Amino acid sequence: MSLPPHRVDYSPIIERPPIKWPNGERVALWIAPNVEHYEYMPVQYGPRDPWPRTPYPDVQQYSYRDYGNRVGFWRMLEVLDQYKIRACVSLNLAVLEHFPEIRDAMVDRDWDYMSHGIYNTRYLYAYTEAEEREFYRDNIATLKRQTGKQLKGMLGPAISGTERTPDLMSEAGLIYHTDWMHDDQPVPINVQSGKLVSVPYSIELNDSPLFRVNYEADYFADICKRQFDQLYKEGAESGRVMCIALHPFLIGQPHRIKYLDEILRHITSHDGIWYTTADEIADYYIENYYDQAVIHAQQFKA
Amino acid sequence: MPAERREGMDHPHHEWSPISTRAKLSWPDDAKVALCVIVTLEHTEWKPPEDSFSADQAGGLGVRPFPDYPRFSHREYGHRVGIFRVLDVLDRLGIKATVAMDSQTAEGYPYLVKHCLGRGCEIIAHGISGSQMISGNMSTAEEAEFIRSAVDVLKKATGTAPKGWFGTDYGESERTPALLAQAGIDYLCDWVNDEQPYPMKDGLFSLPAMLEMDDLFTMSNRRVTIDRYAQSIKDGFDVMHRDGAKNGRLLVINLHPWLVGQPFRIGYLEDALSHIMGHEGVWAATGSGIIDWYRDNRP
Repeated sequence: MSLPPHRVDYSPIIERPPIKWPNGERVALWIAPNVEHYEYMPVQYGPRDPWPRTPYPDVQQYSYRDYGNRVGFWRMLEVLDQYKIRACVSLNLAVLEHFPEIRDAMVDRDWDYMSHGIYNTRYLYAYTEAEEREFYRDNIATLKRQTGKQLKGMLGPAISGTERTPDLMSEAGLIYHTDWMHDDQPVPINVQSGKLVSVPYSIELNDSPLFRVNYEADYFADICKRQFDQLYKEGAESGRVMCIALHPFLIGQPHRIKYLDEILRHITSHDGIWYTTADEIADYYIENYYDQAVIHAQQFKA
Repeated sequence: MPAERREGMDHPHHEWSPISTRAKLSWPDDAKVALCVIVTLEHTEWKPPEDSFSADQAGGLGVRPFPDYPRFSHREYGHRVGIFRVLDVLDRLGIKATVAMDSQTAEGYPYLVKHCLGRGCEIIAHGISGSQMISGNMSTAEEAEFIRSAVDVLKKATGTAPKGWFGTDYGESERTPALLAQAGIDYLCDWVNDEQPYPMKDGLFSLPAMLEMDDLFTMSNRRVTIDRYAQSIKDGFDVMHRDGAKNGRLLVINLHPWLVGQPFRIGYLEDALSHIMGHEGVWAATGSGIIDWYRDNRP
């Protein structure tokens, strides 16, 4: 018997047929800035409190995050531009509506977008099935209206979800979900209809969990470089995915930005990297590996 | 109220303004960085009122049941010892401190009021005590009285009405900026969202503190060590100095004498601030000095 939630079939990475990226690259690298807005006076809906420090508003925490949109985003952008990175944004879609200069900067660079919900203070946990269906409709329509792009994937709002999430995402036409921290390659997610895959995001190479506690950006640079070196080595046999997750309010702080430069300088000094986005990784994987992976995993069923 | 999905902020206190689109802000003598060092003198109460709210966990061994000797006395260290070390460092570097003082400190430590004024510090309002913050739980009447009392006590103790306000633990309700403007306050340090001052509603200005440069946030809450904190101040300054050539930057560093004034920490603070003051193009000023300049010279 496989164990709940029965969403992803077990498949040990050492047994899998190798993955070859489009031009034989070792590592598919995607950079995921989380471009977010947290509400000043959110309404708590479900089990998680958006501002647990104080009664609402929490001006300290609200304005700390708003710093990302006013200042940090622009400083981060200078470094990403310097390395010609086409990012795949984890996007609170309401940012497109609130802050048109940010929208235009992203559209001008032809970035890709995965949904990160509408606001980072509106979690999915308590959504009914009907509410969640409407949520995807809204996400898809908003992105199309504001950027002209078709929404393909999601990192749940503040990484929240329901048990139905993968089924409803797939039903809405989305093809990837990045809430799964379980692998260095894409893998199929079992859904009622359609094809959905997980694309590796990172809760480790991620400035948010690190800088909430006592790690600093020199450490972040060190682990990103080490992660890259290891995956680059392994990627000679079978392609790997590496994601670096950023938050402009954190990495865009003046005392941190040089370490982002240091990370990208290290990575870009190598050949054999597919600079890509989660949209492209999901498309490529579904086209070339999805069916084979489903069949291959059958032999490991308990 | 949940946010409405339309252009701009989801609150009425200031406008949306990305720094990338702003005209150049020039500081006196074309400085690249305006530096404001806030020294927070707050009294931790032996027995806070039962209906008060606090988000403060810092000092001693965290919050413990009453009577909490270690926390009370750890915080008291700042008033007895740490403040003089911190002010000595600032004096040596030619930085006039902006002292955020709560009303219990102003009433209970007349020596400190006199001492800070004697050293040329600006004293700004900082609520009633380190153990009580403004929160959305307060009624309008309670909050107005809280602000009035903090401002009045400070005015009586110092002889001048305070121009600046820095909320205890950055605490505000939805009404706070409007109530502060009514109480005659000019500028507010609670909104940590920018590297320049900016106008708020009701004639108020924001002098945004850099949260990550706040010693309590970084060393007490996040548990970053003093050497790394000092490194962050230097790294951060270097980038603001670079960026300040294009558009003037504001670096507001908030310090707590009970914390950074400990003997083993003070040398790192002096080293970091010496790094800043060793550069050309730094304007060290008080909060009022910066806001007065900004009011008259903003682009």
